[in-house]
Amino acid sequence: MPRSPQTPTTTPRPPASPTPDGREAVIVGGNRIPFARAGGAYADASNQDMLTAALDGLVARFGLQDARIGEVVAGSVLKHSRDFNLVRESVLGSALSPQTPAYDLQQACATGLEAVIGVSNKIRLGQIDSAIAGGADTISDAPIAVSEGLRHALLKASHAKSLGARMKAFASLRPADLAPATPRTDEPRTGLSMGEHQAITTATWGISREDQDALAAASHQHLAAAYDAGFFDDLVTPYLGLVRDANLRPDSSVEKLAKLPPVFGTSLTVPATMTAGNSTPLTDGASVVLVASRDWAQAHDLPVLARVVDGETAAVDFVHGHEGLLMAPVHAVPRLLARNSLTLDDFDFFEIHEAFAATVLSTLAAWEDAEYCRTELGLDGPLGTVDRSRLNVVGSSLAAGHPFAATGGRIVATAAKLVATRAAETGQVARALISICAAGGLGVAAIIESAADPSGQPGSGASADEAAPATGSDGAW
Amino acid sequence: MDVDLPGRPSTVKTLPGVPGLGGLYARAVLPGWPRLPGRGGEEPDDASLPEVTYRAADVVADPEHLVRYQRLLGEPVDDVLPAGFVHVLAFPVAMALMVRPDFPLPLAGMVHLANTVTVARTIRSDERLEVHAWARGLVPHPRGTQVELVTEVTARYGAGDAMEVVWRGVSTYLAKGVTRSGVGAGGSAAAPASAPFTPPMPTARWALDAGTGRRYAAVSGDRNPIHLSALTAKAFGFPRAIAHGMYTAARALAESGVGRAGAGRSGAVEWTVEFAKPVLLPSSVAVSITGDEASGFEYVGWDARRGKEHFRGHVTPGAS
Repeated sequence: MPRSPQTPTTTPRPPASPTPDGREAVIVGGNRIPFARAGGAYADASNQDMLTAALDGLVARFGLQDARIGEVVAGSVLKHSRDFNLVRESVLGSALSPQTPAYDLQQACATGLEAVIGVSNKIRLGQIDSAIAGGADTISDAPIAVSEGLRHALLKASHAKSLGARMKAFASLRPADLAPATPRTDEPRTGLSMGEHQAITTATWGISREDQDALAAASHQHLAAAYDAGFFDDLVTPYLGLVRDANLRPDSSVEKLAKLPPVFGTSLTVPATMTAGNSTPLTDGASVVLVASRDWAQAHDLPVLARVVDGETAAVDFVHGHEGLLMAPVHAVPRLLARNSLTLDDFDFFEIHEAFAATVLSTLAAWEDAEYCRTELGLDGPLGTVDRSRLNVVGSSLAAGHPFAATGGRIVATAAKLVATRAAETGQVARALISICAAGGLGVAAIIESAADPSGQPGSGASADEAAPATGSDGAW
Repeated sequence: MDVDLPGRPSTVKTLPGVPGLGGLYARAVLPGWPRLPGRGGEEPDDASLPEVTYRAADVVADPEHLVRYQRLLGEPVDDVLPAGFVHVLAFPVAMALMVRPDFPLPLAGMVHLANTVTVARTIRSDERLEVHAWARGLVPHPRGTQVELVTEVTARYGAGDAMEVVWRGVSTYLAKGVTRSGVGAGGSAAAPASAPFTPPMPTARWALDAGTGRRYAAVSGDRNPIHLSALTAKAFGFPRAIAHGMYTAARALAESGVGRAGAGRSGAVEWTVEFAKPVLLPSSVAVSITGDEASGFEYVGWDARRGKEHFRGHVTPGAS
């Protein structure tokens, strides 16, 4: 096990939200296109096409035609060099005012969440009063033009008869095939794919095949149930014939998943447990979130689902095996909680990105491990236990798929609607913790909480009795 | 100007420059060259090493060569000589010694067992270096006869012409199946450790393609045929081309990051490697490099599929 803590003991600071003059960044809503499997429905769509579609869906949903938004911040992990201004070009192609500024951001799989945190900070500083954050990624379009290796892998995968064979085709990718580090590709410094890295972490934490399959099955079942209940009616806009995420298997079960052969960690000395079923598939898609000041939302007669409370980014030394590649959120969350004087028990929802089922389970196991929390996280004892009934309650990446930069926007919009709906039901503030791991040993965490009541007391660390009248959500959740 | 270190023969032969390895290999493997076993030449039965130190002065790195080395090994492109690059610069001087007619062991088929390099300080790319090389430690080995080649690199310090040792390498070689009468006065080499190897958790994987040997040959000048192609390797009894041992060690050094220049770093480092099974190309080598900057790194590489050890060593920061 590791020899010295990577995270110094956190010094709690006052809650970071709101800013001294009380400005808040509130989430008005989100929009995404259904996520497609690589080489599927969006095979002919570019990042720009998909991002533009996601923006136009948002415009239609909130009546933003010709609106000059303060800033649009998004990005793609797999991006053509010609798309240096991908987001600005998408804005120009959208129904937004051409006077809307934009910039590209890239932080691997955390791109979308980092974009949300960035625009929220600008809003809280008063530099802008509205923003759109998100991301788009295509496996089908972008890398084929830049990499023979990936093209071969995709062709091989498209000819493959089984999910496992398809995964194997991508496992053969080399760093030279794909400059940015992404799932199924190799980390530049280690030559190990993300799946192989996770397989080491999985073995270190002793995560069982059964637990991984159970989490994967639950993800599919939760996502399917949420679609059936209409939860995504105001979050997803159909695109190119897709109305639901193409990867979703409503009939997924532990029994079916148990039949898949392992694809990662097969050369380790311990039994391999990670399969195509409990790992996220390569996916195409785009998502955006509308963030604003409360005044701007009111002036435009728009709902308020939640506010962005705070965010924290961490990075770990995975290169020499000190920590697992995808374990950075494990470090980010305790720092974030300490700064906001919160514990895991203060959250109604946990949205932990399912890069692999084992990533989620390793994260939970780490937070429950007293020795690890002391030596690695600088805590006095275990961070705590995540109530599984509050975890990824409407499914996550294993079922929806994971178009790298688009995942953050999907999760933020989902979490915002969850807390708004819960607050509407209970009349109390509901809170969600978001955690997304990323290539390069990066991880981003964020807190959002319901904020429907303009007269509420933002920044309350524990205002369980705060009245929060229901607005902003007409879903059944 | 020279420190008279124990074991370093006082007779010095100054070479006109660092010799090319290609020519040295040609001399070693040409038909009829007496060093090649089984070619009918008279095999010397000498029990002693040549009592001479080879010297090459005014050795300066070629900037373009340095960049090619840095890119291949994953070292940052900067003005500092990686310890592995100094080996590339200096080792041909030792090799020249090994192809002398009175060197007691045949160069062809010699197996590199281990290598230890001690770097005293950061060496800048524009420094004018001097290389000394000599042989020592001729002892019987369970599988033949072992010898050590010492290569020492000195550079100026201060304002004058005073020289200091900045880099010192000891390369241990085995002449397989070769015995020399009279060898053994200095004691026998230890039998190779036979503890079974259990692969640890990997921290990296090196996908080494069939051209790996050719690319390192191009930057190191070590065009030993066993590294270049399956065909040429077969001529020397290997089923396929094998990766240069020093390539694997130098890549582990680069990936540890120890010994690089930088704020608060002296560049002092000890870098060792012991070679086990050769890496047959192409190959997927699982690697574990663990430790930290302060206390150094241990590394080991093995065949990802068969679990057989290829090499291991350490990279530890030295006293500045």
